[in-house]
Amino acid sequence: MALSRDELKAAILKKAETAPKPQLYIKDFYACDPDTKPREIKNVANDLVKEGKLMFWSSGSTTMYAMKSRIKNEEGDSGVN
Amino acid sequence: MAKHETPLLDELEKGPWPSFVTDIKRQAEKNPACWDILGQVELSYKEKITHWKHGGIVGVFGYGGGIVGRYSDLPKRFPGVEHFHTVRLNQPASKYYSTEHLRAICDKWEKYGSGMTNMHGSTGDLVLLGCRTESLEPLFYELTHELQQDLGGSGSNLRTPANCLGQSRCEWACYDTEEACHQLTMHYQDEIHRPAFPYKFKFKFSGCPNDCVAAIARSDVAVIGTWRDNIRIDQAAVKEYVAGKIPSNGGAHASRDWGKFDIQKEVIALCPTGCMWMEGGDLKIDDAECTRCMHCLNVMPRALRPGVEQGATICVGAKAPILDGAQFATMIVPFMKVSADNEFEELIEFIEKIWDWWMEVGKNRERVGETMQRIGLPTFIKVMDLEPIPQHIKEPRSNPYVFWQEEEVEGGWDRDVEEFRARHAA
Ligand code: HEM
Ligand code: HEM
Ligand code: SF4
Ligand code: SF4
Repeated sequence: MALSRDELKAAILKKAETAPKPQLYIKDFYACDPDTKPREIKNVANDLVKEGKLMFWSSGSTTMYAMKSRIKNEEGDSGVN
Repeated sequence: MAKHETPLLDELEKGPWPSFVTDIKRQAEKNPACWDILGQVELSYKEKITHWKHGGIVGVFGYGGGIVGRYSDLPKRFPGVEHFHTVRLNQPASKYYSTEHLRAICDKWEKYGSGMTNMHGSTGDLVLLGCRTESLEPLFYELTHELQQDLGGSGSNLRTPANCLGQSRCEWACYDTEEACHQLTMHYQDEIHRPAFPYKFKFKFSGCPNDCVAAIARSDVAVIGTWRDNIRIDQAAVKEYVAGKIPSNGGAHASRDWGKFDIQKEVIALCPTGCMWMEGGDLKIDDAECTRCMHCLNVMPRALRPGVEQGATICVGAKAPILDGAQFATMIVPFMKVSADNEFEELIEFIEKIWDWWMEVGKNRERVGETMQRIGLPTFIKVMDLEPIPQHIKEPRSNPYVFWQEEEVEGGWDRDVEEFRARHAA
């Protein structure tokens, strides 16, 4: 049984809070609910950004998700875009 | 901001070609912050290391793309480029602008940014180079509210779709590339403005196999116009070309005397599949062997035209070299009707089937072409619910193996071989 939208949101936030690295790929959230399709998980993660609970962190070529409180610096790193 | 000594960059102003160094110097006269671009790049040339930092959290409200964060790692020394973010603007289909619109964009950009642009970036977007974080929101507000000018895609988003001039200017267009590009851009606004995938995804639309947007080399889904009946031949015009009355290639090579037009040497002998010949003064084509390379049509546009049953070939999986080498897209669907009449339904269904698979099995930062290569074409074709066809094979012996599935074999894998061998000796 797939998680409800609220349960999924809670699971994604927990993951974003406890993962060793603050920035997560969308794929890192798939495990929050194997019964929900990746595109739906993406929609829920993007909703959390809209609600101000997560934020996007982009290298220019790849976009990751992060908890606001865990990002200290607004800047990225040198590397490929 | 002071000028910097830039002896290495100055070398790039020598020679007959245009120089970005000259361009930046000219802009720096207007906007002194641009001197620091030259200063920082000069230092990088000397130290052979970049001083740009990439990425971060910059963006505009509600969007997860369109702005690419750039910072200097020497902000004290080069304050003009302390923040130097890139802003991508979604170009209109075929890049038709009014000069009024372009001037208005440039005015906004001089007000909020460095004034430097890249017309256009390779993705297709109109690229504005160099903006401070605090200027992003006001710039975005004015672009969208006053100029109705939206941002393009970046990051793990669907990138701004791009297309060739198509039917607006070109007689070879086999479908309406502008309509397709515009409609899919509107259909996928969410995917363009917010991350949607493990990595970037692009589609591009060319009206014929000349592929003027280089879709086959750059896009995850390349939609390339083609026809499936016969090349239309006007034999009277063929004779005029042969007689030298119509210049070949529309006169494109007329600046030099190449001698008399020789249809045998310049067309028939260059046909890659050798499917053309002359017969009693008429040009003949064995269309079943024609690969739609466009060569003969390009040389004799007034004699040869694409057939009338038109659509597109769909190729999947191109990418530029980042970790691996560059890769061309692989032909997946030889012919698809691409039409606004059914709102590009078939194409949209095809694209979303790829997304569902790629989002599931693609690794982080893996383009779909790399996923296909890693997992194998036979699996990809199966996932796409397609029947394998000879055209899926790149070349003999490179990928010819289509495996039987258990359900396709009478008796499955557990069949009694002894019993079978009793009837069929090995
Ligand atoms: C030191 C001796 C040899 C070396 C280093 C050698 C090396 C190779 C290599 C590298 C290939 C290509 C394999 C592939 O890309 O699929 C090949 C294929 C082949 N070799 Fe040799 N070979 C040697 C001796 C021989 C001999 C003595 C014969 C025949 C009497 C032979 C017959 C073949 C055949 C028929 C193929 C094609 C096989 C296929 O593609 O199915 N080779 N060999
Ligand atoms: C009537 C006789 C023969 C028939 C009908 C026959 C048929 C075939 C066929 C259908 C293939 C597969 C080709 C492919 O899929 O790439 C093949 C490959 C091959 N045959 Fe024969 N063959 C015959 C005789 C021979 C003989 C006498 C030899 C060696 C002395 C030989 C050596 C090979 C080799 C080395 C290959 C592999 C070639 C490659 O894969 O590049 N064949 N043959
Ligand atoms: S790709 Fe073909 S249809 Fe499009 S502009 Fe080029 S030649 Fe014309
Ligand atoms: S389009 Fe290319 S392959 Fe087809 S007939 Fe002309 S030259 Fe030959």
